[in-house]
Amino acid sequence: MTLRLRRLWLALALLLLAIEFGASFLPMDRAMRPLLLIPAVLMVATVGTVFMEVGRGPAVVRLFAVAGLLWLTILLGLGSLDPLTRTDYPVQSTSPQ
Amino acid sequence: MSETYLPHEVQYSSARHQAESAISGMWLFLATEVLFFGALFLTWIYSRHWNQAGFDAGAQHTNLAIGTVNTVILLASSFVYSAGVAFIEAGNTRRLVQCAAAAWLLGLAFLILKFGVEWRDDFAKHLFPGADFAIHGPLGGSARIFFEFYFLGTALHGLHMVGGLVLVGWIIWRARRAEFSPALHTPVIVVGLYWSFVDIVWIVLYPLLYLVGRGP
Repeated sequence: MTLRLRRLWLALALLLLAIEFGASFLPMDRAMRPLLLIPAVLMVATVGTVFMEVGRGPAVVRLFAVAGLLWLTILLGLGSLDPLTRTDYPVQSTSPQ
Repeated sequence: MSETYLPHEVQYSSARHQAESAISGMWLFLATEVLFFGALFLTWIYSRHWNQAGFDAGAQHTNLAIGTVNTVILLASSFVYSAGVAFIEAGNTRRLVQCAAAAWLLGLAFLILKFGVEWRDDFAKHLFPGADFAIHGPLGGSARIFFEFYFLGTALHGLHMVGGLVLVGWIIWRARRAEFSPALHTPVIVVGLYWSFVDIVWIVLYPLLYLVGRGP
């Protein structure tokens, strides 16, 4: 990859950072604000594919990269399952009034 | 030049085999690091979900300017190091030294801003979750949890940065001794993978610490 192309990818990453930064000032519901992570995920993909060149080298490199992401998804997915799906019902106090 | 003329350790069939083993080994290590930091990110999801208001109240006390500048610094550092890898592949050792030195200086600037300026300011404002924690009231407990995450996350990332600075410094030292060539420069690639991974961790930490909890 040429230096010029790398510069363009850096510019794209900085643009994504600017979007993420600007979007953080938008009025958003508190529960929706984790959507601000979307540009960050795209930046991670840029660094991984352009600066780390995951597409180069032996195939086992891709296997390790995909395995890391797969286990991260399982870790975050299973770990979040309970807090994100549990419904809290109010409990009446049983203490004497 | 045929690969059979390149030196390699006895346990490898060729220099290419040795290089691919080293690069694959670093990727495997990084996959374990993904899970290490994944557990940290899970604590953020869990803690914020149950303590949203207080967690966000804590996040509003972070220094957005320094966090943003540091993100730019690390992106630039990752870019300039990767350019250095391209230069040594083209046989330009002098450019590799320049690029690695620039990446090292950017990494040092990150650490100075993070720990020399920002952390110092945080401690002065009593944001460390100790006995004299600054945020009181009904949200104080949740804000304390946020700052426990903040200090743990930035400390772990900072330790990885220090390790990266040592490794990049080692690459500069070896490059200045002309130990790398277009055919033999695997350590340059392997250290670059680690350096960019540390950048990736910060790219995820940045919105978690500075943006999500900061409303208009």
